[in-house]
Amino acid sequence: MKNNITRRAILKSSSAAIALPFLESFGFRKFAAAATAPVSPKRMVWLGMGFGVTADKWFPHQDDVGTDYTFPDILKPLEKHRHDLTFLQNLMHKDSQDGHSGSTFWLTGANRYAVPGQSFHNTISVDQLAAEQLGTDTRFASIQLCAKGKGNSGGDGHGPGLSLAWNRQGKPVSGLETPVAAFHRLFSNENTPLAERQARLSEQRSVLDTVMSDAKSVQGKISKSDNEKLDEYFESVREIEVRLSKEEQWLGIEKKQPDPPLTEPSDSLIGYEEMGVMVDLMVAAMQVDATRVFTYRMPVDTMISSLGAGISAHTMSHYSHGERRDVSEMRDFHNAKFLARFIDKLKASKEADGSSLFDQTSLTFGTNLFSVHTLRNCPTLIAGGGAGFKQGQHIVMDDPKTPLCNLWLSQLKGCGVNTDSFGDSTGLINELIT
Amino acid sequence: MMLFTTKKLPSFLTPPSLPRHPGGNARRHQRLVAAFASTTVALRTLKIVASGLICSTTFAHAATDDLQAVMPDRHFDVLDTYCLDCHDSSTEKGEVNLETLSFTLTDDIRTAEIWNKVLNAMNSGEMPPEDKKQVSAEEKTEFLRDLSEQMVLARSVLSDSGGEIALRRLNRREYANTLEALLGIRPDTSNLPDDRANAEFDTEGASLYFSSDQLEQYLGTARNALELALLAKPLRESEIIRIEPEEFYYPHYANLAAESLDRAERYYSFLGAGGTDEAAKQFGFLDAWQGNRSSGAISDRFVPLQKWLDAPENKKGAALMITIKNGFTQMKFPQLRAWQPGKYVIRVRAATYEDDPARFRYLEFSRREDQNATRLGWRKVSAPLNDPQVIEFPIEHEPGADAAYWVQKRTHMDRGDKNLHSIYVEENGYGTPWGVWIDWVEMEGPLPEEPNPAVAKVLFEKEDAQSEEDYAREVIRRFTTQAFRGKQPEPDFVDKLVTRFQIKRAEGEDLTQALIDPLAIVLTSPSFLYMVEAASNETSEKLTGTELANRLSYFLWSEPPDEELLALGKDGKLAKPWILEKQTKRLLADSRSDRFIRSFAFQWLEMYRLGMFAFEGRDYPEFDNAARDSAGEEIYQTISTLLHEKLPLRHLLKSDFVVINDVLADYYGIEGVEGHHWRKVTVPKDSPRGGLIGSAAVAAMGSDGQRSSPVERGVWVLRKLLNDPPPPAPPNVPQLSRFEDEILSSRDLVLIHQQEPQCAQCHQKIDPIGFGMENFDAAGMWRETDVIRGRKQSVLGEFPIDPSGTLNQGRTFSSFFELRDLVADELDGFAMGLTEALISYGLGRPFGFTDHELAHKIVAQAKSSDYEIADFIHALVQSKTFQSK
Repeated sequence: MKNNITRRAILKSSSAAIALPFLESFGFRKFAAAATAPVSPKRMVWLGMGFGVTADKWFPHQDDVGTDYTFPDILKPLEKHRHDLTFLQNLMHKDSQDGHSGSTFWLTGANRYAVPGQSFHNTISVDQLAAEQLGTDTRFASIQLCAKGKGNSGGDGHGPGLSLAWNRQGKPVSGLETPVAAFHRLFSNENTPLAERQARLSEQRSVLDTVMSDAKSVQGKISKSDNEKLDEYFESVREIEVRLSKEEQWLGIEKKQPDPPLTEPSDSLIGYEEMGVMVDLMVAAMQVDATRVFTYRMPVDTMISSLGAGISAHTMSHYSHGERRDVSEMRDFHNAKFLARFIDKLKASKEADGSSLFDQTSLTFGTNLFSVHTLRNCPTLIAGGGAGFKQGQHIVMDDPKTPLCNLWLSQLKGCGVNTDSFGDSTGLINELIT
Repeated sequence: MMLFTTKKLPSFLTPPSLPRHPGGNARRHQRLVAAFASTTVALRTLKIVASGLICSTTFAHAATDDLQAVMPDRHFDVLDTYCLDCHDSSTEKGEVNLETLSFTLTDDIRTAEIWNKVLNAMNSGEMPPEDKKQVSAEEKTEFLRDLSEQMVLARSVLSDSGGEIALRRLNRREYANTLEALLGIRPDTSNLPDDRANAEFDTEGASLYFSSDQLEQYLGTARNALELALLAKPLRESEIIRIEPEEFYYPHYANLAAESLDRAERYYSFLGAGGTDEAAKQFGFLDAWQGNRSSGAISDRFVPLQKWLDAPENKKGAALMITIKNGFTQMKFPQLRAWQPGKYVIRVRAATYEDDPARFRYLEFSRREDQNATRLGWRKVSAPLNDPQVIEFPIEHEPGADAAYWVQKRTHMDRGDKNLHSIYVEENGYGTPWGVWIDWVEMEGPLPEEPNPAVAKVLFEKEDAQSEEDYAREVIRRFTTQAFRGKQPEPDFVDKLVTRFQIKRAEGEDLTQALIDPLAIVLTSPSFLYMVEAASNETSEKLTGTELANRLSYFLWSEPPDEELLALGKDGKLAKPWILEKQTKRLLADSRSDRFIRSFAFQWLEMYRLGMFAFEGRDYPEFDNAARDSAGEEIYQTISTLLHEKLPLRHLLKSDFVVINDVLADYYGIEGVEGHHWRKVTVPKDSPRGGLIGSAAVAAMGSDGQRSSPVERGVWVLRKLLNDPPPPAPPNVPQLSRFEDEILSSRDLVLIHQQEPQCAQCHQKIDPIGFGMENFDAAGMWRETDVIRGRKQSVLGEFPIDPSGTLNQGRTFSSFFELRDLVADELDGFAMGLTEALISYGLGRPFGFTDHELAHKIVAQAKSSDYEIADFIHALVQSKTFQSK
């Protein structure tokens, strides 16, 4: 046992020794300096918009690259932040095949058909990988927000999944579906006495213990390959156990309230208004450092209908001319407005060290679907200083099939997550690195 | 898992069209095999060749590794001429080396991946690069056609499950049905993932995942269901709530009319005063813009309202109108609460305006929960105003959710009703015809019924001498055995459950309450959630009797076996072919087989497409929710009729009857169909209806809600009816957007595809079928011209329909009717497609090459009895595969 610990400690310190010069050589100064000066924590946020964008209007012109590009008209509300954000073109997941799934593989890059005899496969998403390392000191390792889905028939273009997040086993992680639910998870303190909460934890453990006794008896009876499938069950139980221990750690520590405190959101919020409140909640959660990793699977269908559209999101996504195109452009415009407001709020919120939340946040806005069913040139807009990127650019990658996972890897490294690859990454995006 | 008695076919049986390419230098290899007559092997031909071989030999099973996807050698020229300059062994540009690439795609996954890269690069026009020599259209078409077909083959060879059936979790439907079978009430499962998104069928074990959230959701769902069932209050006293609609609507509409009149007066005064912002304010408007918006106060609002108020019958009842601002005249019953479950009946005393279009002469019954409306059904009103009739509509209010029940007229999705109303105002001066007048509505209930028998079984009567703990243990043990579908729980597990009961009891819960926690844990355990089939021993791959009973029951009922079936399974009798057949017949005859028909057909025929697009009411006024729902229902009812009346499968391709209700009869323009029940109706010889291809549902599924899509329709017919699926649409093919601003007929729009070689290779086969179906508009109505509409009903273009075309094999047709005949000739292919889908659904794994022999056996067996649907099912159930692990 003692041996083990020593070995692990050595491994840990040696990997740090390797990581530092590597990062420095890429000029990740902010992170490299972290060892000496106290800095605010890094945050990472991904906002997924499901169905793609209005193809010919959303990106700046392909030939108009650099810092002095003409800003897309349709995204006007974002122009005031142009020096703090970057458009990236020609990023994609080479294994994506699902023309209706804007979110399922967006943060994973997995090949759905990678496992023979199985029609669905996924891998860990970038946010969950980040949460494993950035989420150790906060009450929540990560927070997943999403909008109430519409099931199977087109819906919001997100595809299979419960949020943008997928765990280590490639299984979906559920999200908080309403602002009210998110508010309570993040900020409500329970009135129940400590002893009662402890009792509840031990009761939950006893439930797990009971189902495990049946699981083990099944395990002994079924074939090897069936046992591989049953592993998902065991893994789920383990995950809940980990979560219960974390809850136990934080038992008795009050949830911090933002200043000024938030009031419980109305439960009738829907669509565009709901998105605005989700932003308020994310910013407040950052202020109290409840978590450092966020994903938000944004509403599309309810968003456009809350803005007066009379057609469904799927109908809109097949725009040609006329009303469908009008709605599609209106959606792009309001998404830009939404994002601009998010950036405003992050900029306005100051950290203890004088920087703003925006300076510490790696913000990504995009989807796996470009337009209609096209899966290349994934709409990608990044902002914030979290990853130490050089912002204010319009970058068109030379290779039209540059892995989107290269961006995820660059962000992970920029935010100090220790990993050498992600998904099908082939390297970093050097254009972003100062 | 199937045992392979042989792994390889003897070499003389390997057809020369399947040369086995060794790896190594492709250039050299090409010379070596030049002596072979290189033949293009289309997927379809290959499938038949391969399976034909198997049937004609004594070898029991096809081994997957004998099937290879091979790119014909003659295409080496294309690679040599256009690709190898940059992608040979010495240059390897982009790390792609095509020189040593094996022409056998199925050599390994890596080889297939490189070929897939080639396919995508050429499809998207990325390769060869613009500044390099381009592949001629003809070469490219052939190259891509062969490659995409071989890719499909390669994919299925490489992804074959080898006959393995993965441990299967109950999917969401089965879970709900199983809880209902155990507890007698239907749980609310909307929190659980909808398992239909992951695979072709939601029964595919390998793709049914499990996550920690689900574990908690299962526990929560089970607790709710158990509380609702075990702690149910006795039914409250039945009562009748009656609504006299004029009591609310007469004064309401009178007020609105007065308001409109006032608004109109102010509008004219505002105009008279110059129509400025100033004038607007003077007459009570916010500004001139708002003032001007009141121009329709008389025509759009006052006139329709006043007409309603003037009708004498509306003093003692209410005609169903639509107002531009205030929506429908609706009969809304007070909400029924979650804890007021039971059977109710709604009665409506109504009459009809006989001159109004048929569509408006229906009542629509719906259930409202939160924002969501579920349509429950429609009833046509036929009595005249002077002699109204009473219509009854039964409802069942499930426990667990508050819901309200409404009665109104038929509706469209979104704002279609409002747009149509405006058009009607222009036409008739008062808007959407009323159609129905209602004297009163009433709801009676809850109707008396027996206490839930499932609960009585769970909470059986305690014997006097029995201690409470012994009783609880027995309740838990019996429930667990039932929930585990015949498998005895381990004593250790039961002990732990009893401990849970004791803890709850000690916390002060009463006997029944304290049982809820342990029983909910049972319903969250793997033995319940998974279809556990014990590992086979060395001597037998056979399912045990109980396992067979489970597999059969979930196949045909999507729920656990009943006592009769389980008992036959337990004592081994079910394995006897005649008993198995008898039970299969019994299950099919039972109304629960409807679940099989619906969930199988929904997924097999991809019926979800029917709900994917909104049909604008303005463009397709007749295709409202009632018509659309009924169009989908027609498919299930037709299959059900074929199954229960033992009619041959060919009726799905072409038939002299349709199975419809009154709503659909109105839509199809078929007369003499009265009443809402579904029934067979003979159609004349010259009717396009009869057969899936002529149904409104299939036409509508092949459209985007605005225009028909010959491509979607063609692909659907190839995949579902002809069993000749084209390769999947390549991702990332550039949109044909350069034609976006031109107004073209659907046919011309689609023909553009065929100018591009990468499109032509598949579209030559797909599009003609779609052209043959062009006589159906986006909503499945017959038409002679394709009218393209712009905003506000403007007509942008009109094109006469040309339905003629040529099928892939060279057979020509000049009309939809001839196309339907050609499709109907392909009955064997259709039967094979159905069989493949049944195997996937029934066995819970994707159809693979391993299953070819089985599929051929089933088809052969069913063919001998004219392809009755039940015979496919019997043949599958009797197969060794169905009865093996």
